[in-house]
Amino acid sequence: MREWLARIVDWFRRDRLDAELREELAFHRTQLERDARATGDDALDAHWVARRRLGNVTRVREESRDRWSVPWFDHLQQDVRYAIRGLRRSPGFALSAIITLGLGIGANAAMFGVIDRLMLRPHAYLREPGRVHRVYLQYKERDRQITRESIEYTRYLDLRRGTTSFSATAAYAHGAQAIGIGEAARERPIAAVSASFFGFFDARPALGRFFLAAEDTTPVGASVAVLDYGVWKSDFGGRNVLGEPIQVGNIKATIIGVAPRGFTGVAEEKAPAVYIPITAYAGNLPGEDGKNYFIHYYWGWMNVMVRRKAGVSLAAANADLTNAYARSWNAERGENRSLEAVSEARPRAVASSLRSAAGPDPGLEARTLVWVSGVAVVVLLIACANVANLFLARALRRRRELALRVALGVSRRRLAAQSFTETVVLSLFGFAAGVAVAQWGGAVLRRLFIGETGSTDVVTDGRTLVVASAASLAAAILTGLAPVFFGLRADVASMLKSGLREGTYQRSRARGALLVAQGALSMVLLVGAGLFVRSLEHVRDKRMGFDADRLLIVRRNLRGADMSDSAQAQLGRRLLATAQSIPGVESAAWISSVPFWTTSAVGVFVPGVPSTRGLGLMTYQQGSTDYFRTMGTRIVRGRGFTADDRVTSPRVAVVSESMARVLWPNATAIGQCMRVGADTMPCTTVVGVAEDVAHVSLAEEAPNRYYLPIEQFRPAAGYAVMLRMRGDPAASAERVRAALQPVMPGQTYVTVRPLSEVVDGERRSWRVGATMFVAFGVLALVVAAVGLYGVVAYNVAQRMQELGVRVALGAQTPDVVRLIVGQGVRFALAGVTLGTVLALFAARWVQPLLYAQSATDVRVFGIVGGVLVVVAIVASGLPARRATRVDPNTVLRAD
Amino acid sequence: MTPANKRDLLPGTLDMLILGTVAVQSMHGYGIAQHIQRLSRDVLRIEEGSLYPALQRMRQKGWIKAQWGQTPNNQRARYYTITPLGQRQLGLQEAGFAELMDAIARVMRPA
Repeated sequence: MREWLARIVDWFRRDRLDAELREELAFHRTQLERDARATGDDALDAHWVARRRLGNVTRVREESRDRWSVPWFDHLQQDVRYAIRGLRRSPGFALSAIITLGLGIGANAAMFGVIDRLMLRPHAYLREPGRVHRVYLQYKERDRQITRESIEYTRYLDLRRGTTSFSATAAYAHGAQAIGIGEAARERPIAAVSASFFGFFDARPALGRFFLAAEDTTPVGASVAVLDYGVWKSDFGGRNVLGEPIQVGNIKATIIGVAPRGFTGVAEEKAPAVYIPITAYAGNLPGEDGKNYFIHYYWGWMNVMVRRKAGVSLAAANADLTNAYARSWNAERGENRSLEAVSEARPRAVASSLRSAAGPDPGLEARTLVWVSGVAVVVLLIACANVANLFLARALRRRRELALRVALGVSRRRLAAQSFTETVVLSLFGFAAGVAVAQWGGAVLRRLFIGETGSTDVVTDGRTLVVASAASLAAAILTGLAPVFFGLRADVASMLKSGLREGTYQRSRARGALLVAQGALSMVLLVGAGLFVRSLEHVRDKRMGFDADRLLIVRRNLRGADMSDSAQAQLGRRLLATAQSIPGVESAAWISSVPFWTTSAVGVFVPGVPSTRGLGLMTYQQGSTDYFRTMGTRIVRGRGFTADDRVTSPRVAVVSESMARVLWPNATAIGQCMRVGADTMPCTTVVGVAEDVAHVSLAEEAPNRYYLPIEQFRPAAGYAVMLRMRGDPAASAERVRAALQPVMPGQTYVTVRPLSEVVDGERRSWRVGATMFVAFGVLALVVAAVGLYGVVAYNVAQRMQELGVRVALGAQTPDVVRLIVGQGVRFALAGVTLGTVLALFAARWVQPLLYAQSATDVRVFGIVGGVLVVVAIVASGLPARRATRVDPNTVLRAD
Repeated sequence: MTPANKRDLLPGTLDMLILGTVAVQSMHGYGIAQHIQRLSRDVLRIEEGSLYPALQRMRQKGWIKAQWGQTPNNQRARYYTITPLGQRQLGLQEAGFAELMDAIARVMRPA
């Protein structure tokens, strides 16, 4: 061991050691010369005597030199030089291999960057992240398994008291609040956290301190705030802010600390600008929410995190949590009799990942993302197959050279090492290219998936770099194996004996197999792409029941101002009237819920229907006169609202087609009576039937929904105004905001957003799937086509003599083309067949990610298969054309 | 090339001889060769072709250290010094050698 270390050290200073040895030997010689002179020889004789006595100096030096050489080190150096020389000699080969590998490695690095940030990476400063979990609640509701992350404060107290498996428990909620006063006020992300929250981290405040337990108490916590480091630097110039006031929503808080740099708590998106005690947030809310949040169970709004005690298994912790949840469920049932019994609902509490994308119910987008990462791996496989194929082609071309080297005594192991070094060198270049691809493409991906959060740099991100290098190493091994296994089987004697003409054209089974594998994988990816694109088309084409294109949502934010119901209703009317007078507004409606954001439901009682429970959820929307015109929702029968539907006029409603069908299957809905809120309420008469709309989610089927004139039912709940614009809504958003803001009293304000943004968010998972599958699928197809072209072209070059003979014997151009193209098409067909089998096998798992699209759609499979065959014809057609120009006269005389 | 009166060394004894020589005092390569030749009354002649590779090997094993120094007549020469590790090695080799000589003696002159 020690000797080897010394050897390696000597290897690095071998030039100096060499010089020293030369000097040492020269000294030895002069000593011998001196001895010789002393015994009487003259100078010249002495010189020769000394030389004779010293013996073979060169041999001495060589033997010594062996002592400071490390053979494998030297070989490695040699191999690397040899590899780089080889790559430089065929730049086309090198470049295509590097680009192919780079794309494959880059795709994986970029996807890992996204997955890591969404699911894997522990939060900064978090201590022992392996034992920290978020609590998810699961129960059954009408045979459906529900998973919930939002938890009531009362439940948090129940779970904390009812369990023994955890050394710490914390509650937290993320939201947006206006921070600051007057014109400087901006809506920013905030976190409301329990005092125990900061104890989960190894974080020390950059300034001041975190919350004390005494500052986080029910009913109302202390009005204190901890600033985010970045906000402290940007908004406060990093000065000593302790004791300064800061307005957070409706709370006038005092700054008591600054979080350390890079601290984001457990935020999944943007880092909170300010942290406040969770009881200060809830306790300061106006109305019922702010008074009884820690006693009742009606308001699930926060998340719970726990730290498992050392030695408590996850299973034991979950059992403990589930027991506590069951007791808490019964406590809730005490105040809400309509809740199912524990034996029916089977409530379970699960400690799982802090990141919801890796939790028990990751959602469509996260699941799509996992598939897309799988696709990235497939792209890398295809890239490896391609490069392996290129290597094989080269190895075959160099068979005679290799055989010669074996004959000259180069060990096969050494040859294998050499060719493996080549692939490693290539994959290193591929790694560099991949990092560049990931840096550029990853930025696009992250914008697509995560939004702008934290650092998005690949080059400086250790975790992504590790994955990228692992991918490169895997690529090196995969591509390196092929030539090692197939390239060296050459039988030396026969290789050397045979001329170029004999036995050089042999079909390589290995290369064929690689081609078929590439074709199959491309087929799978392209089928995936086709399915997601069709799915996205279905989502886009789906009639949502409204026309989102030119709509703006205006949302009022009262910032906790204590306004009476009538004042709130008055404000709504004023906003509507002002909005209608803004130039460019076609029509406007005052509403109580925004599609995909909020929804409301109350009990509905219908004469002749024993109970509406079990008929599915019935949600309602309140709207002013122009509601249906503004939204673009069609009235199928009867009428919409008119200006005559006032507080004083008879109560009316419009119901959705589905709801009409469900409630009055055998009669017309119009003219029917429904009681809204309680069965003692007066009749609300159905005056119209509207088309079905998507409101909770796009995938929703046949939702029950009804509409009430906002003036007749709780006008104070109307927190938004919907505007239909004549032109591009995004362009006029700021103008609309400026026109409406003066209507808002005091600290209250409005936000304005195009509805299409909200709808786009809902379509995202399908769009992401379609985009990524298409991008990767086309990439795979191009790579596979290049691979096919390379193989066919190579075969044509090898078969020139044979083709020449055929032409000489009378083969016509079409015969030759058929021969060559037929080969390419056979590869493609084999690939398509295998790919079809694979895609059918995967269909079961992809199906839930699709929208109104069968995962085994014959049309998609057919089109993709056709495309592959056409690409194969083109890719082999080019070499075939060259083959037709064979001049038997030249070819047969060569070699 | 090889001196006529040169005796073949028993394998492994070269290291021992060198170690034994530099154990007395630090010496340069020429000195080591001279020393062994003189003490063995010209019976043992260390060939330079074996001496220098052996010195390199022993240096890498950590038995001896090499340092450049001045000879009494102000010439630059590389001096070799034994290390503690080399001392231990010398002890082992001497013991092994003594055992070997004993064994040979018993074979050649049975008591």
